[in-house]
Amino acid sequence: MANPPFTNDIRTLRFLAGEMTQGALGDRVGVTRQTIAAIEQGKYSPSLEVAFRIARVFGKPLETVFQWDANRD
Amino acid sequence: MAFREKTAWLVLASMLVAYTLYFGMILADHPAGREVLPMLWLFGRITLVQLFVVIAGSILIAARTPKEARARADERDRAIARRGGAVGYYVLMVGMILVGVVMPFVDTGVTLVNAALLALVIAEAVRHGVILLSYRRGWHG
Repeated sequence: MANPPFTNDIRTLRFLAGEMTQGALGDRVGVTRQTIAAIEQGKYSPSLEVAFRIARVFGKPLETVFQWDANRD
Repeated sequence: MAFREKTAWLVLASMLVAYTLYFGMILADHPAGREVLPMLWLFGRITLVQLFVVIAGSILIAARTPKEARARADERDRAIARRGGAVGYYVLMVGMILVGVVMPFVDTGVTLVNAALLALVIAEAVRHGVILLSYRRGWHG
């Protein structure tokens, strides 16, 4: 399946948040570790709510976590 | 691999083994293909064994990953399940229409029941196949 037309920096933000694990992020957002892994790999497009929840965990605006990639559009 | 993905593999594999055996025996001229009681007896036994395998396997998988087993399905799990259900529904509809089409041309109800069971099994196999494919390849709902 084609990747979504946006990328994300969740992996980097987890690293900067003290090597936060995918499971820990998933627990705080309310999704499974596998769903966080799928979002990071571009295999799943999260709902707007989950996208906002992820951004809130890192204390960043949404567009810092997710970036539109015109090349993939 | 996610808990729900593992259980989908378990259900699909056990179902394919169980009903390949069932329909294989019918093709090999087992009385279950012609008479009601042998059909109910064979189908009942095979279904019970499959049910036991699925329950025992699910307990085993849950024991190895208790945290995941307790977790509620999240939005990705639900989206994937909906996609599998939608595709499986269309397969089931086509199967049932085909059963209806052949209905006037068969002499016993047992043949019809077996044809309907086959449609159900194929639809369920497709549903679980779509679920597994979505977990493996990704899903952008």
